[in-house]
Amino acid sequence: MRAPSGRDIAAGEALLAVENVSLAFGGVKAISDVSFDIRRGEIRAIIGPNGAGKTSLLNVINGFYQPQRGRITFKGRPRSAMRPYEAALGGIARTFQNVALFKGMTALDNIMAGRALKMRRGFFWQLLWIGPALAEEIEQRRRVEEIIDFLKIQHVRKIQVGKLPYGLQKRVELGRALAMEPDLLLLDEPMAGMNLEEKEDMSRFILDVNAYYGTTIALIEHDMGVVMDLSDRVLVLDHGVKIADGVPAEVQSNQAVIDAYLGLSH
Amino acid sequence: MRDNNLPANGGKGLAARGTGRGEGRIAVATEAVCADTFPKLLMRNARLFAGRPAYRHKDLGIWQVWTWAQVLDEVRAFSVGLQELGLARNDKVAIIGSNRPRLYWAMCAAQALGGVPVPIYADSVAEEMAYILDHAEVTIAVVEDQEQVDKLLSIVERLPRLVLIVYDEPRGLRDYDHQRLKWIDDVQKVGRDRLSAGAGRLQRWEAAVAAGRGEDLAVMLYTSGTTGRPKGVMLTFDNLIVSAINGNRFDSLGPDEEVVAYLPLAWVGDHVFSYAQPFTAGFCVNCPESPETVSEDRREIGTTYAFAPPRIYENLITLTMVRMEDAGRFKRHMFHYFLAVARRWGEKILNREKVPLHARLLYWFGERLMYGPLKNRLGVSRIRLAYTAGEAIGPEIFRFWRALGVNLKQLYGQTEASVYITAQPDGEIYADTVGRPNIGVDIKIDDNGEVLFKSPGVFAGYYKDPEKTAETKTPDGWVHTGDAGLIDTKSGHLKIIDRAKDVGRLNDGSLLAPKYIENKLKFYPNIREAVVYGDKRDFVCAMLNIDLTAVGNWAERNNIVYGSYQELAGHPQVYDMLAEHVEEVNRSLADEGMAGAQIRRFLVLHKELDADDGEITRTQKVRRAFVAQRYAPLIAALYGGAREADISTEVTFEDGRKGMLSARVKIRDVQTMPVPTMEKAA
Amino acid sequence: MLGPVLETLIGGLMTGVLYSLVALGFVLIFKASGVFNFAQGAMVLFAALSFARLSEAMPLVLAFALSVLIMIALAYAIEFLVLRRLVNQEGIILFMATLGIAYFLEGFGQSIWGSDIYKIGLGLPTNPIFILESVFPGGLLIDPAELIAAIICAVMVLVLAVFFQVTRIGRALRAVADDHQAAQSVGIPLNHIWLMVWAVSGLVALVAGMMWGAKLGVQFSLSLIALKALPVLILGGFTSIPGAIVGGLIIGAGEKLAEVLLAPVLIRTFDLAGGGIENWFAYVLALVFLLVRPQGLFGERIIERV
Repeated sequence: MRAPSGRDIAAGEALLAVENVSLAFGGVKAISDVSFDIRRGEIRAIIGPNGAGKTSLLNVINGFYQPQRGRITFKGRPRSAMRPYEAALGGIARTFQNVALFKGMTALDNIMAGRALKMRRGFFWQLLWIGPALAEEIEQRRRVEEIIDFLKIQHVRKIQVGKLPYGLQKRVELGRALAMEPDLLLLDEPMAGMNLEEKEDMSRFILDVNAYYGTTIALIEHDMGVVMDLSDRVLVLDHGVKIADGVPAEVQSNQAVIDAYLGLSH
Repeated sequence: MRDNNLPANGGKGLAARGTGRGEGRIAVATEAVCADTFPKLLMRNARLFAGRPAYRHKDLGIWQVWTWAQVLDEVRAFSVGLQELGLARNDKVAIIGSNRPRLYWAMCAAQALGGVPVPIYADSVAEEMAYILDHAEVTIAVVEDQEQVDKLLSIVERLPRLVLIVYDEPRGLRDYDHQRLKWIDDVQKVGRDRLSAGAGRLQRWEAAVAAGRGEDLAVMLYTSGTTGRPKGVMLTFDNLIVSAINGNRFDSLGPDEEVVAYLPLAWVGDHVFSYAQPFTAGFCVNCPESPETVSEDRREIGTTYAFAPPRIYENLITLTMVRMEDAGRFKRHMFHYFLAVARRWGEKILNREKVPLHARLLYWFGERLMYGPLKNRLGVSRIRLAYTAGEAIGPEIFRFWRALGVNLKQLYGQTEASVYITAQPDGEIYADTVGRPNIGVDIKIDDNGEVLFKSPGVFAGYYKDPEKTAETKTPDGWVHTGDAGLIDTKSGHLKIIDRAKDVGRLNDGSLLAPKYIENKLKFYPNIREAVVYGDKRDFVCAMLNIDLTAVGNWAERNNIVYGSYQELAGHPQVYDMLAEHVEEVNRSLADEGMAGAQIRRFLVLHKELDADDGEITRTQKVRRAFVAQRYAPLIAALYGGAREADISTEVTFEDGRKGMLSARVKIRDVQTMPVPTMEKAA
Repeated sequence: MLGPVLETLIGGLMTGVLYSLVALGFVLIFKASGVFNFAQGAMVLFAALSFARLSEAMPLVLAFALSVLIMIALAYAIEFLVLRRLVNQEGIILFMATLGIAYFLEGFGQSIWGSDIYKIGLGLPTNPIFILESVFPGGLLIDPAELIAAIICAVMVLVLAVFFQVTRIGRALRAVADDHQAAQSVGIPLNHIWLMVWAVSGLVALVAGMMWGAKLGVQFSLSLIALKALPVLILGGFTSIPGAIVGGLIIGAGEKLAEVLLAPVLIRTFDLAGGGIENWFAYVLALVFLLVRPQGLFGERIIERV
């Protein structure tokens, strides 16, 4: 499914490196001593049975959770505790497992909100809504329209997202993340609850985002077919522990992975 | 203008002649001599309407506008670029994609050099495209985007003639091998560079345009018949331009119209309504942002002239009805109340009939409170003229729109006619006719009931298929439509009654259009299904299915007790009621000149025709021959004169079990109208 | 009869605009943070006190500018000392926190500025205007001070409504109101938004306080008008800016009209002492609304998340 574009991910530089990270809530360990990296330009899948700690890992990367131990290096710089706002500022965007859109706002406003960090004009100009602020708003709108065009959601632009079907909401949410022009895009189950056609569309969009914008993508997904088709490398977690890491073919034939999935077949 | 465009005088028998604003044809002729090809019309428009909008396209949420002068500039650059890349006279250029300005311009750019555009349905799979590209000997394809490029690349090995693919939307194509692939912008850049290099290049291009002649091939439109491979209908500039001008005259279309182009480019309808008519009349074509935004785009533009197959009108109504079900109770009540008002009076008001004052007042309120906002929502507020064509529209749907005050009219046309055969003039609107012959069109109905026409729009032939051409077009220029029709005696309009091949003949020579009669019968709510026989027989008989809901209700109201479907179907009072319906149908057949095809005897089947038993298709079409075979004893009894007959058939029950069902079915004679002797002559 | 009724209606509408302004302060904070800010009334009192006392010592403009700064500083202090520490806590805890802030502000304001009744002299014209004299005998009386106050409030309400509807900050605010987590993930800084919202509602409180203060004098009871904003909110919906405006107008006009039209009827039919309808009418109306349309006129339908 992937067009061979001749790039060599294996040799790529690490955009994000996670080293020996552990996270616990009270006494419950969510992630234990996990290390892995995400290379610039790749599509990285994170899989594992329910409760494996996948979403927790995303939350750590994006600053919602602070790990108790371990080190995270993003763009070559180690970072300690970080707030989501700072993660966003650094170029990390994400979508959520259960679609976290601004339900009362239109699709257009949702995606515009994604450009909050790209707007530089100060409060005062905003207040007046004239001059540079207006010009900036128009420029931002153009960028957002490109994303709307890219995701083919022109027809829902002015519709409150709460009223949209689920598949389209997911697409708008992806649009909002894209509006941040992120270096690293985290997708938490982008295809959950979709029918086959919607899944195919979403797969194509993910590949296009990766190819067209050159965005590095890390995604959590349950559909193994999708994961194997989309991703360059796969990280497998089970009960918060890394059990495998490699290209799809390797992971697929890894005995520990097969056991984890069989042992917890659901 | 050449003489052969004037219709030969007087068809025989039931011929009709397009009259209308006939004197206009002379003016048309002179205009067309000056600009008898689309590129020439473009140059004329760039002069006449230089600063007026010619194309709009909503892109990135904003309507982009090109004036006629700008379009000329774009087309010229594109055309010169194509020439530099090897396009020569008579080369075929495939156009594949949705309604985007640059795809329309590609057609004109090719035509300027004597190339022939071949629009292909964008949703065709690669295999279908391969056939047309090969058959049409296409050398250059102008396509919309990556999706179409991918399709073509998958079959390009088999198409040695195809040397160049030009695309409109560059997304995703950056890393493709550009050996035989070019972006329109780059083609235009080549053209612009050449044009600015010296004045000679411009003159050469203009000379190429001037060399084009009205009788040259303008476009090839592939139509997929119900059987066999698609045929390439060849239309000349004269065909399209004269038809378009006549069409403009028929409905007084001028440069102020606004249309939204959203139907497939490969459909003759779109080619005339979004290309030939705007070029001749000088109005603006608006290309929607995406297929899903058409309604919204239509609303923003305020379309004045629209064209759509019936299903589009139907879908809009369904959408409205569904939305109303979700609305609040008050709104819903208001909607239904004013809808009833509109149904009662709207069409009369639109037709300028006499209407009592209170009705006018109610309708006025309705317009303010409901019809206006609804029309606005549907994007038809400013619509002056809307056509439905392509297939028969349900009378309910047709009347709904007219009731709201939308001037929806019917049109009958074909690719082979450059669309126009007949259309309904304003003020002569009927749900069951397709109107009068358009200006310059002659029609006649042959002995088999088939409609033939002759017009300036008659196609040049099927590409590389003289045999099929000869089958369809007579040596003196009449074209077989394949449809059976008749001229309605009251309105003088053409009525299409069936496919010509389904029309049969009674032994006395009278025509029989079974589907037409069946539809008339099914118009009664009590009759769910009807099967009519009579081909190669002495008279017409019918087998009916009652509609259990409708007849059941009626039975309840009239205290008729019944234990089963079979019992109800065989009830004498039900027979009485249905006999009345059949007699009414007979009366209307006689009125319409089909007295010979009146129903003499009928029976009511003891069971419903069922798709599980193979009696009807899954799409609810009766399989007439199969039913005849299955119920052979009944047919024998109908024609044998018996009062009743026994039948036993195998049936499949809901749960899949099979069983035998036997019954004694009664047969009823019905009264027929006398057959006037005049009609026999026809 | 029509003349006096109209006069009452106009007077009521003008009071209503003031209610709207107070309600607006509630709506802003509730929308952005889901906190029902019980301290809004106290903020009105505090702002009015500051302005009244400062204006005794300096020109009005300077006093106003200083009061603005004080309200912004107050917002900052609240955000920094209280809200920041209570992120992701239950709504009821935040509500309790605002309750604390309310009592603290009332007391603290009076300890700094004193607890007498202070006058605010805005120098507004006092001669009544009569309009429509040709239609009604004697014309309709309008208090110019009230009129100007109403116009200022109306402009303020309008500006805020537009600001929050069309600007990027407005969008950010609506985003935060809809989903905290998602807003953070796109890089909207929650703290800044909250600070801004509290500052803006501080300004709204200041304007409201000045207008009420000019009308009734600045005193402790000013903080009680916040209670009048409650029925307004119930009517208009807790999250709707237009709701706050319309709600305020309906309550303002309603209670005055009830006083004039309903009171005589009640007195006649039930032989009541009459009077005082103005004091409870708004709450009864709100109660009726709670039963019929709990989300208010413009509020979002309340859907319990499972």
